[in-house]
Amino acid sequence: MLDALVVANQTTQSELLRIVHADPDAAAAACDRLVDLALVWESPGGLRPLSGVAEALRGDEAAGVSGLRPMSPDPATPDEVEGRLALISPGARALLEHVLAHGSEGTTGNARRTVSPADAATPVEELIAHRLLVPRDGGLLVLPGEVGIALRGGRTTTTPRDAVPEIASSARESTLVERTAGGAAFDVVRRTELLLDHWGLEPPATLRSGGLAVRDLKAAAAELQVSEPEAGLLVEVAAAAGLLTTATDPEGNEVWLPTDGFDTWAASSTAERWVTLALAWLDTTRLPSLIGGKDPGGKTWNALAPDLSSVMAPEARSLALTELAGLPEGQVLATGTGVPSVVERVAWLRPRRPSVHRDLVAAAVHEAGLLGLVGAGGLSTAGRAVLEHDHDAALAAITPHLPQPVDHVLLQADLTAVAPGPLETELARTLHLLADVESRGGATVYRFTTGSVRRAFDAGWSALEVHDFVGSVSRTPVPQPLTYLVDDVARTFGTVRVGSAEAFLRADDEAALTELLHHPKASTLGLRRIAPTVLISTVPIDLLLPRLRELGAAPVVEAPDGTVRVARRDLLRARRPRTSRTRSAAAARAHATVASVVTAIRSGDRATEGRPATPAVATTPSGALAALREAIEARETVVIGYVDNHGASSDRVVDPLRLEGGQLTAHDHRSDDERLFAVHRITTVTPLSPARP
Amino acid sequence: MNDGPLIVQSDKTLLLEVDHPGAGEARKAIAPFAELERSPEHIHTYRLTPLGLWNARAAGHDAEQVVDALLTHSRYAVPHALLVDIAETMGRYGRLRLEKHPTHGLVLSSTDRPVLEEVLRAKKIAGMLGARIDDDSVVVHASERGNLKQALLKLGWPAEDFAGYVDGEAHPIELAQDGWELRKYQSEAAESFWHGGSGVVVLPCGAGKTIVGAAAMAQAKATTLILVTNTVSARQWKDELVRRTSLTADEIGEYSGSVKEIRPVTIATYQVMTTRRKGVYSHLELLDARDWGLIVYDEVHLLPAPIFRMTADLQARRRIGLTATLVREDGREGEVFSLIGPKRYDAPWKDIEAQGYIAPADCVEVRVTLPEGQRIAYATAEPEERYRLASCTHAKIDVVRRLVDQHPERPTLVIGQYIDQLDELGEVLGAPVIKGETPVKERQRLFDAFRSGEEPLLVVSKVANFSIDLPSAEVAIQVSGSFGSRQEEAQRLGRLLRPKAEGKSAHFYTVVSRDTVDADFAQNRQRFLAEQGYAYRIIDAADLDTAR
Repeated sequence: MLDALVVANQTTQSELLRIVHADPDAAAAACDRLVDLALVWESPGGLRPLSGVAEALRGDEAAGVSGLRPMSPDPATPDEVEGRLALISPGARALLEHVLAHGSEGTTGNARRTVSPADAATPVEELIAHRLLVPRDGGLLVLPGEVGIALRGGRTTTTPRDAVPEIASSARESTLVERTAGGAAFDVVRRTELLLDHWGLEPPATLRSGGLAVRDLKAAAAELQVSEPEAGLLVEVAAAAGLLTTATDPEGNEVWLPTDGFDTWAASSTAERWVTLALAWLDTTRLPSLIGGKDPGGKTWNALAPDLSSVMAPEARSLALTELAGLPEGQVLATGTGVPSVVERVAWLRPRRPSVHRDLVAAAVHEAGLLGLVGAGGLSTAGRAVLEHDHDAALAAITPHLPQPVDHVLLQADLTAVAPGPLETELARTLHLLADVESRGGATVYRFTTGSVRRAFDAGWSALEVHDFVGSVSRTPVPQPLTYLVDDVARTFGTVRVGSAEAFLRADDEAALTELLHHPKASTLGLRRIAPTVLISTVPIDLLLPRLRELGAAPVVEAPDGTVRVARRDLLRARRPRTSRTRSAAAARAHATVASVVTAIRSGDRATEGRPATPAVATTPSGALAALREAIEARETVVIGYVDNHGASSDRVVDPLRLEGGQLTAHDHRSDDERLFAVHRITTVTPLSPARP
Repeated sequence: MNDGPLIVQSDKTLLLEVDHPGAGEARKAIAPFAELERSPEHIHTYRLTPLGLWNARAAGHDAEQVVDALLTHSRYAVPHALLVDIAETMGRYGRLRLEKHPTHGLVLSSTDRPVLEEVLRAKKIAGMLGARIDDDSVVVHASERGNLKQALLKLGWPAEDFAGYVDGEAHPIELAQDGWELRKYQSEAAESFWHGGSGVVVLPCGAGKTIVGAAAMAQAKATTLILVTNTVSARQWKDELVRRTSLTADEIGEYSGSVKEIRPVTIATYQVMTTRRKGVYSHLELLDARDWGLIVYDEVHLLPAPIFRMTADLQARRRIGLTATLVREDGREGEVFSLIGPKRYDAPWKDIEAQGYIAPADCVEVRVTLPEGQRIAYATAEPEERYRLASCTHAKIDVVRRLVDQHPERPTLVIGQYIDQLDELGEVLGAPVIKGETPVKERQRLFDAFRSGEEPLLVVSKVANFSIDLPSAEVAIQVSGSFGSRQEEAQRLGRLLRPKAEGKSAHFYTVVSRDTVDADFAQNRQRFLAEQGYAYRIIDAADLDTAR
């Protein structure tokens, strides 16, 4: 109604009633109510919505509002609009309807904005020309409200708004509802306890992001024999009820652990425990139904992930259950069509919730079934009480539908024990120790195996105690094979003993050991006899040995392989430091040095030999350059006088190669390598006389 | 809360409290769809399996009935998910139908097109189907009828076979009920087989499965091929048929390694059927030698894999499988279902025992301690040698001697696995030994002598496990077995269960070596016995004289 008013902007009540798709009386009543609520006021020009209402209403198209834009300030009459609609091509019509279905907005693209109907080239231009789409700033095209109304047959919505969606229901005995719900309730409590008991021993790690790893959830589902989504629900509910939280384990890792509240919870009655869980579920903002799905970023939602919550969740649950509560006695949701009809009804009641709300409602009905608030599609009495947050009534209602704990088992010759109902907690824990669980459900099947009986012995039970316990809990005579099994395990239990000792003493002479054992000064040695010829000590060997010698014994030490070790003390010696280089490397290096020295000497010899008798006169720089060029061309060897960095002058025998940039590149005979010489430092250039034969 | 005898577990097992007043009724209600898994003294365990549920569908029960049976008899609420699962599983059966088409022959048709499409796209099935006739049906190669059924079962869409059976060549067979009559459960078994068309009858050893076979033949009144495990059992079938039916010895042929007769009723051994020469099954033509109207598989749980494949080609003939247990150590129960047929009848051993048709048995496990020297030898032995070492200990010989002495004058069988051990036992006990190499004639003679009481003590190897009728055996002592096979245990116990004169109970001893793999295997077998409802005792060899 309000939506229609926003679309129509300012209008008369009669006009409003015309465009709202509903019974006029109902619409008028709704209109009056809006006025009473002061969301709408009667201006002189007709009804107007309060400022701000339009903005508050404008959600996305999926939010349940009609998705229409307000009408243009000066709307064409419905007939005119109809007339224009009749003129356009089918393509344009299809486009128009598409725009309507997607929020009444589009972009112009490259369409011209001012065209006449005659030369419109594309459907868009055609629509603009007929003023069925109005261009706005920023390339936006808007479908005006009046056109939208015309397209929808003169109304703001295509479906009537005053018809309440019916809930599809079918008849089912209410006892069946109660029983099924009771069964589910019992299972939930049993499984929650089982899981948390298990996690108390082997807690799963907390992910860095705060959730529970998919692997751990899978393991939990397998342990509980349920599907993963159901395991996720149990985990979430347990956490919501404050039974499970994240904490640091003794090794300092973040893990999920049962809280101290779990112990209190586990000690209370099954009914009490169920009510706690059910209320926690009803009020939690967590979204267990999304576990395993993908978040908008494409990442999988982990159970217990911190972001996995929504304020809409509790509302969705209570709305869904309220609808179920509204079903007449003996009626339950029809299989298949029931849940969608509840979703429709809730969507009608809360039209402006985002589409995810619909999923939440469907999930709520499903979860309520798993948790035992709903059985076979109907809300149980206990579920009704939980919905009203009536703790005591819920307790009273669920109690008769939960199986009563039993205090006995039936023992059979195939070494199984069957508890024909839920066992009392203490008894269940004891049996859990003595036997392995083979199958769970209303009853529990335990199997006694060698391993399980040994486990009990490890926990400090004696064979007699096991016999007594088994005899006392069994309604039937204890089968002989079980008695035999227990005795047989007792026979082999502890045959091999393991202990720790720092040292052992053994001697063939028993008397010598006895003497040591009883020596008054030996008391500090922690000696104990484990066999006639073996003593063990709590003192390490290096202390034990001198003490034994003081006591007059003459012990020898055995090596780990049993050989006798001579007891003389090792003389201490350091190892001679090893030369770090190997001989061959040193030899090679020496050889290279000699070779280079010989080369240098020989080139010096040649320089001396080839030197003219008279010392060379200093050449002028230009003369030196000319001589060098000459030598390069002639490929001659020359002797140059060269002044090095330190000012020392020396003679070099070189084969000049290039001369450029004030530098001479030449092959230096002494270093047997190519070198650079600065031309300005060359004092003399003398051609080398040919070597004498 | 309901006060029913049944508890439905979340792992799909059903626990039935036997002593509950409503137990009988509940058992009757759930028997068609749930497999009896264990039947110890107080609580019987049934399991819901897809096979079991399809069996029930094949027998004409629908999901509504199953759900109703569970809800009516269950003590606690039945998990909703389980009920949904039952309905879904049962709904899968019969979506596909194998039918006879007047012009196209055998066709696979469906009322549910997506299922048909899914199946047609399965790779394994592609080669078995011919041309598509219309949207809902497709031609099946007649020779692939069995294979197709098998493959469809694996896909989880078992087909309902409406294609019917060929009548086969008629041959008059009547039951000759002179001085004996068909027991109630036997006629029920034959009756439910006949109405189902093909299938398996599960009855304990000694409950007269041969007679159920004979009754089925009398229903079919057609030429019959009987497949049995070995020659001795073939001869026993023959004797029994001559005695119980109007058939004469001339009408019954034996087709085995030594004799190859094809008569209106032919008894063939599994072995000869699976004999291959140059890679070809040389005796396959037997299957086509006559237009058989009925095929009887004795000890169907032992059916060798090649016979499975042959059976796949015999789908147009009626087939009856007889067995004491559907347990197959190779887990091929599903193939028995698809190729021979669903389970048509079974009865718990204890029920039949209570009716006096099989003898009660006293099962005792005697534990011997290995002598010190052998314990060391055992401890250091290679794993594959251990079982042999443990089960062939000499300590057992002495125990067996004492056990035999405890039952003087009573026909006793000593059963073992290892020939050396058996030979030694034969020597110590002064009894003849029957083993694989004993000629059939000699075996026959010894068995006859045992039956007549001339030879009160026999030492037998595993050749005697199956189908040898030794109704007079009252005491069995097993000294070694094939690694704890449950099926073997059932067979050996079965030797003892033929009813005894004066209602005496039979004694079944197992001698095992303590603290060895022998004892571990024994535990496996004993568990099977206990699950069949036979309570057993364990005594030490040292207490043997006082424990009686």
